[in-house]
Amino acid sequence: MIKVGLFIPCYIDQFYPQVGIATLELLQKIGLNIVYPLKQTCCGQPLANSGAEREAIPICKNFVRNFSEFDYIVSPSGSCVYYIREHYNILDQTDQVKKVRQNTYELCEFIVDVLGMEDLKIEYPHKVGIHQSCHGLRGLKLGMPSELVAKQFSKVHQLLKKAKGIEIISLGRKDECCGFGGTFSVIEPEVSVKMGKERIRDHQINGAEIITATDMSCLMHLEGIIRRQNWDTKVVHIAEILNCNRL
Amino acid sequence: MIGHSEKAAQFLKDENRADWHDQTLWMVRQKRDRAAWSVPEWEDLREEASQIKNHALSNLDNYLLQFEEKVIGNGATIHWASDAQEFNDLILRIIQKNGAKKIVKSKSMLTEECGLNPFLEKNGLEVVDTDLGERIIQFRNEPPSHIVLPAIHLKKEEIGELFEEKLKTAKGNSDPQYLTAAARSHLREKFLAADVAITGVNFAIADTGTVVVCTNEGNADMGVHAAKIQIHCMGIEKIIPGTNELAVFTRMLARSATGQPITTYTSHYREPKAGGQMHVVIVDNGRSKLLGNETYRNSLKCIRCGACMNTCPVYRRSGGHSYNYVIPGPIGSILGPDSDINKFKDLPFVSTLCGSCTNVCPVKINIHDLLYDWRQEISEKKLLPLSKRYLMKITGIVLAHNTVYNLSGKVARWAIRNLSGELIYHRINVWGRERELPEVPRESFKQWYRKNTLERRSVNEQG
Amino acid sequence: MSRDNILKTIRQNKPEFTPLPKYLEVTDPKPRRELLEIFEKSLNQVGAEFIELSLNEEIDSYLSFHFPEVHQIGKNGFRDEYSANCSKEKLDQIDTIILEGHLGVAENGAIWLDDSDFPNRLVPFVAQMVIISLDSAKILSNMTEAYHKLNMAGTGFGVFISGPSKTADIEQSLVYGAHGPKSLLVVIY
Repeated sequence: MIKVGLFIPCYIDQFYPQVGIATLELLQKIGLNIVYPLKQTCCGQPLANSGAEREAIPICKNFVRNFSEFDYIVSPSGSCVYYIREHYNILDQTDQVKKVRQNTYELCEFIVDVLGMEDLKIEYPHKVGIHQSCHGLRGLKLGMPSELVAKQFSKVHQLLKKAKGIEIISLGRKDECCGFGGTFSVIEPEVSVKMGKERIRDHQINGAEIITATDMSCLMHLEGIIRRQNWDTKVVHIAEILNCNRL
Repeated sequence: MIGHSEKAAQFLKDENRADWHDQTLWMVRQKRDRAAWSVPEWEDLREEASQIKNHALSNLDNYLLQFEEKVIGNGATIHWASDAQEFNDLILRIIQKNGAKKIVKSKSMLTEECGLNPFLEKNGLEVVDTDLGERIIQFRNEPPSHIVLPAIHLKKEEIGELFEEKLKTAKGNSDPQYLTAAARSHLREKFLAADVAITGVNFAIADTGTVVVCTNEGNADMGVHAAKIQIHCMGIEKIIPGTNELAVFTRMLARSATGQPITTYTSHYREPKAGGQMHVVIVDNGRSKLLGNETYRNSLKCIRCGACMNTCPVYRRSGGHSYNYVIPGPIGSILGPDSDINKFKDLPFVSTLCGSCTNVCPVKINIHDLLYDWRQEISEKKLLPLSKRYLMKITGIVLAHNTVYNLSGKVARWAIRNLSGELIYHRINVWGRERELPEVPRESFKQWYRKNTLERRSVNEQG
Repeated sequence: MSRDNILKTIRQNKPEFTPLPKYLEVTDPKPRRELLEIFEKSLNQVGAEFIELSLNEEIDSYLSFHFPEVHQIGKNGFRDEYSANCSKEKLDQIDTIILEGHLGVAENGAIWLDDSDFPNRLVPFVAQMVIISLDSAKILSNMTEAYHKLNMAGTGFGVFISGPSKTADIEQSLVYGAHGPKSLLVVIY
């Protein structure tokens, strides 16, 4: 039986345990042998995006130590997965590092591409807006970004549209950035919040009750704004929706 | 110098105007999308354009020599300038040698970069920018806020007031049609009176010595054909081999820039007019050095279409002037630090690294990757403020060590839960100015997992 | 000397040689009628007006009948009147002129004109209105095909014109006649 390692990024671990739980439960219901290595911390991205790639190396090494034994590594965060795949080139490319880079998947990508599943027998009778997180969309190519002249698709839409009762709303700007951007959110707080407000507005005027995404970091930012504004739109991570199933 | 984030905050204070700026440029991005989709082979063209530029850079010295030979053979004069000072001096000499006084100039980011206008004015010459947007900002004595739409930061009412003062237009009339007509007759006088016309160069064709200039207004041609002396200024990177390559770029430039299928005028200047002079000035100003930088040399492929600005969610919501550098937006945030890393060290951080710029770039410059690379370099050169560097060190230690991480997480969650709002939402908490912190759970996922999976399993096993 | 220094630095710094790409197949064997339709659609998009003459209409008689007062290349001493040495003030007085286009490009409505088509280079830009006549057999699919047809090495000055002079520099509002022609009429025969 294939061995799957569960990677729960640091901020999900600390602030959004329910997203980790949903991911774990979902993968267990699918019938996978899934293990959460207890000594994991973070992928290293928060530092690297701020320019401290070197300081991140011990973090990256810790990640590789924890995960190199698995056939697949799955995480409910496109951004972290993108970082591992794309930026672990700063490590010596040992067999373990190569293996980890090759086999780390974002949750939806893992379900669609590796497991070959689309219909997870979900029931989700809500109006949902999908926020296409940039690192998932443009980095991991979970969909075709609107800038490119090529057949449009989205793995997240593929999974969600199978849900019973769901209504996926369409957006004015279907894949504009939410303005989180890691340290960008505190280096440029005004622009960051402005971008976030407008993303939320786009979902609201198109009737979304719930905004979902493959990245909790985008949602953390949007939720922070929503709560400050006392708006009633909810944010729910994609793993929590996919876990609402009858498998 | 006030940095980007402060200027951006200032820009956003007038929310209506900021929204207008964002929506207008988004509209240009949408036009670009439609234009790109009208060419089914668009992505192949991007790849071709990228490879052409790679090729031209890899053979740049030979193409420049070939170009030079052809230019001379065509009866034009070629000049070389190592830096801005030499460039400015050189232009001044051409003007003075001919006893010229009146100069018209069509759009050229290179002359902006070198500060040509103020230099010539200091030497007692009149330089009139003839692109409407450029003329507007010249009247206002400010730099362009966008490389293709230089006056995009202004509202028509402001332009109306400006023209009322400068061109004696009717008070309170801010109709674009009316204002453009006023500028037309004002600039026609300037065209007809000019002794010298200066232009930028979009493409320089090595195998014929032709320079190609693209405008919508026709201002480059009005200037060049009316004045006795024409001067074309180009960076060394504008060279392409021949017309096969020109075809690829003329198919992409305007579509990327404004969503037009081509600019109204695509002008090919090879020989001087009868009785006239044609000068071509090749400028380095740091480019040949940049060519030696394996990481950032890609930015020399830029054809100045501005697509990365129009698509950039940060540019659209902070305005070009926030960047302080002559070329704003994503590409400027790479070129700026290259010209002066200390002065522009904040620019690579002015991005969410969303990657949209890279996808619209017609020559496939990996803009967001280069911004990421600049961040590393700025950090390694210890140009970040000490507090930030210290924070990085600590964070690095915490995140690399499981036990330290677990403890810090616990402390942080406890703090957010239990400390008073006043303490948490102190003004140094930049996050919290307009956003709530996450609602903090009692236990982390790791704690939950230990309790619910491992302990239960061991109970089961023992049982 | 700057020239040599620049070239020297380039030689030291340039990346390893990479070849030019293999270009896409450019010949577009679309039938003439289809190219013409695309061309007309493009003209519309770029703000040019156009008239398509019927098969039995003759371009010369059409132009002299409809625009009897208008200067036309090679006719009525136009070449001599607006020679290369013509004063700018006189050129500024041109209201409308008729020029003959060399070739048209379907994908963008651009029409090629060069030194052989006007005695003074300012003419097509300074006129208030420009009429270009174009043989429909000379419409090509795209820029690649167009450049294949042109002899750049033999052209002192040449220009692709796509629509009338325009600007959108004030609040992105499109205005025709920024400096040059306020309108462009293409007569296709």
